[in-house]
Amino acid sequence: MEKIRNSNLLKLLCYILIPIIVASFILSIIYVNLKGDYNNLGIKKEEYLQSEDFADQYISDIIRNVYRIGQGYTTIENNGFYDKIDEHIYYDRTYYNNNVTASLKFVIINNNTNDIYTNLKSNDYNEIIKEFNKKEIYWNYENGNIDTNIEKINKDNIKYMDLPINGLDTIENFNVYTYLDKSSFTYSNTFEIRNILFDTFNKNPNLADVLIPVDVILLAIIASYLIWSIGHSKNSKEITLNSIDKVPYELWMIVCTIIFSCSIMIAESILLYTDISINLVLSTLALGYIGAYISLAIIGVTTIKRLKAKQFFKSFLIYQICKKIKDIITNKAEKVLDKSDSQKKIIIGYIAFIFISSILGVTFFTGISFLLLIGLWILVLYKLLEYNKKLNQIKYALREIYNGNNDVNLNTEELKGTLKELATYVNDVSNGFTNAVKESLKSERLKTELITNVSHDIKTPLTSIINYVDLIKREDIQDEKIKEYIKVLDQKSQRLKKLIDDLVEASKASSGNVKLNIEEINLDELLKQVIGEFEDKLDEKNLIVELKLPRENVKIKADNRYIYRIIENLFSNISKYSMENTRVYIDLIDTKENIILEIKNVSKEKLNISSDELMQRFVRGDKSRFTEGSGLGLSIAESLTKLQNIKFNIEIDGDLFKAILRWDK
Amino acid sequence: MYNILVVDDDKEIVKAIEIYLKREGYNVEKAYDGLEAIKKLEEKEMHLVILDIMMPNQDGIATLEKIRTERAIPVILLSAKSEDYDKISGLELGADDYITKPFNPLELVARVNSNVRRYVKLGSMQNNDKENKNGKIFKSGELILNDETKKVTVDEKEIKLTATEYNILKFLLKNKGKVYSISEIYENVWNEDSIAAENIIAVHIRHIREKIEINPKEPKYLKVIWGIGYKIENIN
Repeated sequence: MEKIRNSNLLKLLCYILIPIIVASFILSIIYVNLKGDYNNLGIKKEEYLQSEDFADQYISDIIRNVYRIGQGYTTIENNGFYDKIDEHIYYDRTYYNNNVTASLKFVIINNNTNDIYTNLKSNDYNEIIKEFNKKEIYWNYENGNIDTNIEKINKDNIKYMDLPINGLDTIENFNVYTYLDKSSFTYSNTFEIRNILFDTFNKNPNLADVLIPVDVILLAIIASYLIWSIGHSKNSKEITLNSIDKVPYELWMIVCTIIFSCSIMIAESILLYTDISINLVLSTLALGYIGAYISLAIIGVTTIKRLKAKQFFKSFLIYQICKKIKDIITNKAEKVLDKSDSQKKIIIGYIAFIFISSILGVTFFTGISFLLLIGLWILVLYKLLEYNKKLNQIKYALREIYNGNNDVNLNTEELKGTLKELATYVNDVSNGFTNAVKESLKSERLKTELITNVSHDIKTPLTSIINYVDLIKREDIQDEKIKEYIKVLDQKSQRLKKLIDDLVEASKASSGNVKLNIEEINLDELLKQVIGEFEDKLDEKNLIVELKLPRENVKIKADNRYIYRIIENLFSNISKYSMENTRVYIDLIDTKENIILEIKNVSKEKLNISSDELMQRFVRGDKSRFTEGSGLGLSIAESLTKLQNIKFNIEIDGDLFKAILRWDK
Repeated sequence: MYNILVVDDDKEIVKAIEIYLKREGYNVEKAYDGLEAIKKLEEKEMHLVILDIMMPNQDGIATLEKIRTERAIPVILLSAKSEDYDKISGLELGADDYITKPFNPLELVARVNSNVRRYVKLGSMQNNDKENKNGKIFKSGELILNDETKKVTVDEKEIKLTATEYNILKFLLKNKGKVYSISEIYENVWNEDSIAAENIIAVHIRHIREKIEINPKEPKYLKVIWGIGYKIENIN
């Protein structure tokens, strides 16, 4: 089954069979119909000329022509069918599609006026009319007498004909001479085709009766098969759509309609031509038929495929356009709609505003409407401004929180709706922050307390160690080895002491557990004092201090003990880690916005460490732990600068170490 | 022979202090908590008490309060707590001095000497005042500068100062309690303008401090107010 369903060959066969079967079906139907209703039409040229239909057409044409002449329709003046050749002869220039009419040659003489109407060219019409009764088919009417070789309309039989207009009375006053120009007489292509059809079917009279049901059954089978199999292929279990099926459906509808219409039109129009070979007519008809079939086949197949793939409506361009538009609208709507109550209120309020202002606008000319409209405008503006102001209050509160001031308490009682909710949340956030800050301060304090307590516990045994080491030192020790050992003990116990003190200080400073006593101090005085304090330590390493001050009395606000601790730590580092015989630059810079203190020195050791790392606790530039110092100096300095709102930066450029302190003015 | 009571729950520390003080010629009594200390005080006349703050049974602060209700003897508090707050509250309660653990034994001894001397010599203060007829003696606590003899003594120990140091100290001592900046000191002490000299005033002051103070890092007399100036503490 799958194989049958997926077979392309079978489908191709079906596509080829369909037009053949349909054609045979249509031809059979036509044959059956024509055979029943218009048996006489299905005859050959010679037989036709003998037929009643021919005679009917022949005589009807004559009567109509004469009638028109008699009615005077056929003058040049009213744009008739005849050119006036001389005084009494009118030449027919009428073109008729009707075959009989086109081949009908006549000379019509009005007995009253002796005007001659004709479609023949001659100098002497009296001469040529004498030749008429020698023609193969002729019909003359002279002074009320009919002379013809057409049996059906001879003087005996004509009374049985159903003649148009007033019958023979119409031509009463005329002498009519006519013959059929058999050489120019052709059947229409339709007749030719009918003849071919009849010739074919007449060979086997029962063929049509058999073909019709067989075709129907075959068509039904093929159609069912195609409907079932279209879209299935070996490659995929899904319905496969090709590029044809992806083109918008309307486009195919238009294209196929055009192809179909053109095909039909070509086929129809070719039937109207008379002087074309029947082979050309047939091939044109076949071409038109194939064109029509292809157009129908394309639209049919793609329709089935699209239906099966459930893509039929989606493949419509109009559907896609509508969907796009819907998507855009939905997308835009999604951006603004959130189904909240407040939004509903806004929308209702907006509609109300539009409605009221429209009514007031329409009735603007009445004084009250005018005043009410102005009032409404002012009210709306007032409400908007009020809303915005409240919103801004909440914004400012949030900014306060962002800036670290958690002590925010918005008055929610004046607010309504969303603003109230918003303000409540802001208050909650503020409280949350306050609690979090309290908690964190508490935990920092506990940490500091822990460190302080532990350090106290360490200090007591350390006191004994230091004291007894000192006592041993005072003993008269001869052994150099023991002296050396004691020296190590002495140094390390002193270092331990320093470490503990620094640890406590660092913990306090970083937790902010320090009471500040901010006052105005002179930075230049401080620098001189510190340089004085460190004078001998700097001298030891032959470090030359280059102090540059902008002026006397560079005042800053700080706690003098802690600002000293910061500078002291920096100087202590300089005296410990500077390269010997170098200069130390201390620049105090006074700008419009800041007071900047830059301290620069050249490091003895290579500083392969980042400035951030340097500021961390227990980190030293030399990465060794065997020199003096706890490694907490910069960390303490940084914590203390933070406490006093000083911006503290460290920059490392090769071996140049630069500490920058900056005060905002 | 002065009697000194050393109170600390850490026996090794008491022992160490005893060794140091005995070398200085003091008679040392030992106690290991507050209650014992009070008992010892009642038993024997003491000239100075070294009192640890953190002790079992009765801590140093409570003991100090008790001592102060009856006696005026100098008390040196000994504590591992190094915060300013602890020092100040200790001093406010009536302690005469405050030493943080771990201490430098030399500093402890110096402070003991200083306090004992002051306590014992309290009666002779008036004599000093009488001597200062010409207004040529400047003093703050045990720091005495005699402008007639050009002698400076701390705890009766003579201090050797350079001429510059002497002049600076004299100026500050004369105006004790007041704070002077480097340039003010320079203007008042130097008569001729000498820019180069100004920069080394801080160095001179450090030198003075190192000479007159028991612990120059925690000066008793010559205080540094960072970023403002220097002053001699006004001590009676």
